[in-house]
Amino acid sequence: MKTKILIAALLFVLCASCKKALEEQPQGVISSADLNTPDNVDAMVIAAYSALGNDYWAAPYSSMWAYGSIRSGDAYKGGDGPGDVPDFHAYETFSLNRVDIGTTDVTWYRLYIGIGRANDALGRIENMSLTNYPDKMAREGEVRFLRAHFYFLLKILYKRVPWIDETIPKASYDTVSNVSYSSDALWTKIANDFRFAAANLPTSQPQVGRPTKYAAQSYLAKTLLYQAYTQDNNNNVTGIDQTKLAEVNTLCDSVINSGVYSLEPDFADNFLTADENGTESVFAIQYSINDGTPDGRVDNGHSLDYPMNAAFGCCGFHVPSHNLINAFQTDSTGLPLFNTFNNNDVIQNNSYLTSTFDPRIDHTAAIPGHPYKYEPAQIYQNSWARDPSIYGYLLSMKETVAADDPSFKKFPPFMSSSKNWAIIRYADVLLMKAEALIEMNQETAALPLINMVRQRAANSTARLKQADGTPISNYKISTYQPGVNCVWTNDYARQALRFERRLEFAMEGYRFFDLVRWGVAASYLNTYFAAEKSRVGQLQSAQFTKNRDEYMPIPLNQINLSKNLYKQNTGW
Amino acid sequence: MRKLLLFCSMLVMLAAAAFAQTRQITGTVADKDGRPLPGVSIIVLETQKATSTDIKGKFSIQASVGQTIRFSYVGVKPVTVKITAATNNLAVAFKEGNTDLNEVVVTGYTSERKKDLTGAVSVVNVADIQDIPEGNAMKELQGRVPGVTVSTDGSPAGTVTVRIRGIGTLGDNDPLYVIDGMPTERGLQEINQDDIASIQVLKDASAASIYGSRAANGVIIITTKKAKAGTSRIDFSGNTSVEFYASQLSVLNTEQHGEAYWRASVNDGTNPNNNQTYQYQWNGDYNNPVLNKIILPEYLDAAQTLKPANTNWFDEISQPSVVQSYSMSVSNGTEKGNSLFSMSYYDNNGIIKQSQDQKITVRFNSDYNLLDGKLKVGETLSATYMRDVLLPAADITNYALLDEPAEPVYTVTGGWGGPGPGMSDSQNPVRLIDENAQNKNYFGRVFGNAYAELQILPGFHFKTSIGADYALNYSRQLQYSYVSGFVSDPTNQVSTSQSYDGNTVWQNTLTYDKTFGKSKLNLLAGEENINYINQTFAGSGQGLAIENINYAYLSAATTNILNSGSGYGYALLSFFGKANYDYDGKYLLSATLRRDGSSRFGSNNQFGTFPAASAGWRISEESFIKDNAPAISDLKLRYGWGQTGNQEIANNGTYTLYSAIYGTNLTGEFDTGTAYNISGASSGTLPSGFALIQTGNNNLKWETSTQSNFGLDYGFFNNKITGSFDYFIKNTTGILISPAYLAVLGEGGNTYVNGASMRNTGYEAVVNYANQLSHDWGINVSANISSYRNIVTQLPSNVLSSYPGNGTTETILGRSINSIFGYVADGLFTTQAEVNNSAAQPGKGLGRIRYADLNGDGVINNLDQQYIGNFDPKFSYGLNVNVKYKNFNLSFFFQGVQGNDVYNTYKEITDFTSIDPGANWGTRVLQAWTPQNPTSTIPALTLVDNNDEARGSSYYVENGSYCKLRNLQLSYNLNDALKKYKIRNAKVYIQGSNLLIIKSKSYTDPDPENSTNEFPIPVITTIGFDLSL
Repeated sequence: MKTKILIAALLFVLCASCKKALEEQPQGVISSADLNTPDNVDAMVIAAYSALGNDYWAAPYSSMWAYGSIRSGDAYKGGDGPGDVPDFHAYETFSLNRVDIGTTDVTWYRLYIGIGRANDALGRIENMSLTNYPDKMAREGEVRFLRAHFYFLLKILYKRVPWIDETIPKASYDTVSNVSYSSDALWTKIANDFRFAAANLPTSQPQVGRPTKYAAQSYLAKTLLYQAYTQDNNNNVTGIDQTKLAEVNTLCDSVINSGVYSLEPDFADNFLTADENGTESVFAIQYSINDGTPDGRVDNGHSLDYPMNAAFGCCGFHVPSHNLINAFQTDSTGLPLFNTFNNNDVIQNNSYLTSTFDPRIDHTAAIPGHPYKYEPAQIYQNSWARDPSIYGYLLSMKETVAADDPSFKKFPPFMSSSKNWAIIRYADVLLMKAEALIEMNQETAALPLINMVRQRAANSTARLKQADGTPISNYKISTYQPGVNCVWTNDYARQALRFERRLEFAMEGYRFFDLVRWGVAASYLNTYFAAEKSRVGQLQSAQFTKNRDEYMPIPLNQINLSKNLYKQNTGW
Repeated sequence: MRKLLLFCSMLVMLAAAAFAQTRQITGTVADKDGRPLPGVSIIVLETQKATSTDIKGKFSIQASVGQTIRFSYVGVKPVTVKITAATNNLAVAFKEGNTDLNEVVVTGYTSERKKDLTGAVSVVNVADIQDIPEGNAMKELQGRVPGVTVSTDGSPAGTVTVRIRGIGTLGDNDPLYVIDGMPTERGLQEINQDDIASIQVLKDASAASIYGSRAANGVIIITTKKAKAGTSRIDFSGNTSVEFYASQLSVLNTEQHGEAYWRASVNDGTNPNNNQTYQYQWNGDYNNPVLNKIILPEYLDAAQTLKPANTNWFDEISQPSVVQSYSMSVSNGTEKGNSLFSMSYYDNNGIIKQSQDQKITVRFNSDYNLLDGKLKVGETLSATYMRDVLLPAADITNYALLDEPAEPVYTVTGGWGGPGPGMSDSQNPVRLIDENAQNKNYFGRVFGNAYAELQILPGFHFKTSIGADYALNYSRQLQYSYVSGFVSDPTNQVSTSQSYDGNTVWQNTLTYDKTFGKSKLNLLAGEENINYINQTFAGSGQGLAIENINYAYLSAATTNILNSGSGYGYALLSFFGKANYDYDGKYLLSATLRRDGSSRFGSNNQFGTFPAASAGWRISEESFIKDNAPAISDLKLRYGWGQTGNQEIANNGTYTLYSAIYGTNLTGEFDTGTAYNISGASSGTLPSGFALIQTGNNNLKWETSTQSNFGLDYGFFNNKITGSFDYFIKNTTGILISPAYLAVLGEGGNTYVNGASMRNTGYEAVVNYANQLSHDWGINVSANISSYRNIVTQLPSNVLSSYPGNGTTETILGRSINSIFGYVADGLFTTQAEVNNSAAQPGKGLGRIRYADLNGDGVINNLDQQYIGNFDPKFSYGLNVNVKYKNFNLSFFFQGVQGNDVYNTYKEITDFTSIDPGANWGTRVLQAWTPQNPTSTIPALTLVDNNDEARGSSYYVENGSYCKLRNLQLSYNLNDALKKYKIRNAKVYIQGSNLLIIKSKSYTDPDPENSTNEFPIPVITTIGFDLSL
């Protein structure tokens, strides 16, 4: 009897404990269904914005310096020799680039994370009613703007990428190939998102981080400008689409005529925290500090780019090339030396006070003996360089701040700042319009636009002073004055425009993509390598392979994961 | 006729038996040390009635006065007892030692004698390891149990990685530990080594399957000591050791470093004086360079604080260190109950300065017999307290390797030295030691269970056990502000974190033991409930007014105050049963079945069933052996088959989840945050969203291992020679992986699936020789060898590239998961003709590595890679020899692995000046290739790695075989010397660990066991004593 009771008791214990015993609720997390309230949909939009700056130094995409600057002849990788972030060295030399490089895969993945957040938010927005969610159309415009931004970066890096939007169920993602759309059709998809954003966004936003109609029009113009230069399957530029150029022109006009924007009086204002979100900022990534996160939501994409002195201490990446420094030289009339600038090696000859220069040189490059970030008490020293025997002594400066700047943040061994980083500034709108006009054979109309940019550069010497008040370098710059210092033909104008873009946006990360858009990357870079090889150690095996190196390879890992649904880019 | 006679005599005997005064004779049987012996065969010679002793050595049999009972046991001379009228409660003791065949082995909720085992179970000889002061008993199993691989570093905390029969899965390969019946996933570093009575390793599925869902990686069963009935004793032991750092890499001094830099620069054709530390006087001839003098500047830095030094960083960070270990136990056993109390103290100062692990353990084990022995109530309880210094040991050893010798430890004014211009941005490791010494982690754990066992009917027992295993962890760290060369941080910070985790385990079992005739049957049914919980929180703050650990609490922080917290849990519910059947001690059968439910799996597959069966045939008990081959004292064939499971994945794998990620730590990782400064205000609280963190899979189920084990146990010449051989085949299917996924899925595309399969096959062999050669001389030799082969048999095709291989033509399928994939380094280019005639290889040149053009397309690219090595050893072995002469005992233990490859990442700095140009380099660079030194295999020095020699290639793959003298001990037994005192046992000893290493010549660094940057494994010398009263 005792036994039976015991067995019965035991069985009771077993059954009672069955189902309930295995219930474990996930802790500290939230389910998808709980996110469909208006407040949480707004929060999902914020999450998509957050992806804009969620990169870090190993595969930056908030700034494109690792792909657009060190592959353009404007800059070297820098750091502690080629082995320090070797993937970037492979990018710099082209010949060492491979299909299985980790950074190429990670950058692809990180950009799709941004797209994923945008698609998640879009799906939820579309299910909201206007009554419950009065901001519906504007929010959809914002999120499509963000999605188009991430696709734009993918497009200029990889050319052919899979288009995933909110209408495609996740289960079908693995059926979407990177070649489902032609290169041109992909541009159109991106343009359509910006077009939607331009149509639905307000002309001003209560919160400065959100794009406006004009930001969308500017980015649409940028997209159409890239699309206008048609490419064949081997990346050769085959023509320029005049209709698209005309639209670029119209869009830029809309932005220019809005009266919202103007060039900052001093070029430096674009690269100082104090004036962020100023009149020239069309769309910028908003960073923050002392915001309750461990290190601040700072510009971690540039955290390798600070000097090696005690105030900073890492990591000496992103070094202006000899070629770029030489390009800042001007002739006796204050114009660039289109064809002969590289004959005098300014660094080698230390001719900062004997040659003449565009003032933007000292806004762009940290040079030994010159004040760092406009602070005459902080003279940039040879000893601030990382590995001068390979990369020399210079560093890039637009992206950094002074060590005493309130936006500066150390998170050892790295550091950066909460200074915003511009995706599009107004100068770009002016020069995009100028480029469109020149390619539409309206070079005369382009002249004042280019001269606006040059005049502002000429006006930007107030901060470029040594402690004793003397200019840091010997500045001489003038606008293009046809008949006085130049003959403004269409060809000359094109040369002037392209040179102006280089000087104005040097080290900002898009130079290489300009070269590819214009179809000149191969000849330009191989010419650059031929001369630069004798000046620095790391370019000995550098070689640009035409019809291949215009684009990164589709990451081998993604081709494998897609079970060969994705097709490799030409030449790879 | 003879048959008839026999029949008649039997009838007579039966009649006699029937009419004689038969009564129940009860008693106990013990071995020569007084330990109860289960399974002793008992026969009344006159009536041929037979029985055997139960687990406590007790028996009961019908016999009458004048009859003779024979007690027999394998390996021991039988004892006969004549029953007299006075015979009451017989206490029989064998005079000779019995063999380990009669050892009771805990095999999962119950125990068996070793000779009855049908699964692959290894029993550790605890006596062999008890005096080795490593702080973790598992460390000492390396090489002693075939099929068990233990890898460890030399850190004082004594963490280890244990692998049983190789890598069986792609996820968690840790075995399950069962301590006094309580399953736990924590290792043994928190257990007092002296408390351990036995360690058993259940290797195959038929043995481990009773532990079901968590047994796929094998089970290690620990039983702690209990008092012995009828004895009371006190044991003391103590030892003191000194540890030495003997495996330092040979790195350059300041002069040599300068010379290597000069050579590299001259090789490149660049001006060697174009650097920030060294100036050279040399002949300027790049074709035939001659270095005359290296000149160091007065100061390295412009601020004139760093004078060039000649620092040996290894000497600066390391020290011969002292380890102390003491333990004491008091035990008392009576008829009514037993109790044991023990305490231990362990203090290990590591060979990295300021590293320390202190440990105090307390244990109380007791049990009481009630209701005439029908009810037994008991408990085991242990408490552990550990305090560790939180040194970033890996950083410290790494920086000691990388920091240039010219860098001084201190500035001229006594501040921290640090890197000067042109050096790597690495930390001064002496500062890291000094400024972290005050940071400590405090850990406390209670572990134990209470149980009651009731005999309901004879042979029928019910046992319930409630156990708890909870740990608390607290740490507080002060991070100083500092300036050290050009690396500095002006911020100080205090951070504290606390966690609480653990589980309760409730087990209920019913057992039934029955002997009928020659058959013995044991049945077990049970149920087990486990609930695990983990809760953590942490806080940090900056802006401390003073930098003192006594001040550095969260409340003292004034800026950037942050907090965080998390929690998770899981639950397991299991039912199990086991049946053992033994016929005449010859034929053994065992079957188990377990059904496990886990909260980690989807409702579709929450429960899994794990069956196992095994059989054994003790051939030596057959008369044809007994009669014809007396040399064979034991021979048993075993076969087992069974399934075990694995559930080691994230707790919420079945759910699709979003998380608010307000901010992440930015150093060295991608930000996954969801907050954004949308208003542009640059500071203040940000709005935050949510990110998808995982995609759920409601079809998740157990990963299952199916294992077959063929075993043979043997003993010859009265068990002077014993041993075993096992061969196993283990197929693991439905391996739980969270595979790489198509990037377009974005974040949270990770999902757990049952996606892969692999197979392990292998063998293990042990042979022991034990002989008392004379009264004075005795010898005991134990040798083992084991080997396994791993093959990945199935992987989803789209994740192949997540594993070594190119993902398409060269894949891990059909290969070991431990394979190495890369380029083949085909020597150096030694002539210009070779350079010119080789395949296109960017950066090739004289003295550079030539990579093999494997596909012959004339271009070296990513397609020219193949499998270039395998981390799996061909075999592993151990040899323990114990020689006894009078009161002296000398033992030594060798352990080794053979035929494994290691990927020697140290070579990047010992052989190259270009891969880490701002670091210090190894002395091997001084023998690098030059036209004047054309036979060198070390590539020519260069400052720029244009040939991409950092790429994964066979240049770094080296033979990792080694044989180490793990332990050498000489002890002296003082029993005779102290005879007049009341001392049971006294021993003093000296010993050394890791005294000798024999390694492959092709391995270019000191210790192939430590080919990545881990806490170095020290040489240890020890003096100690054991004393029992």
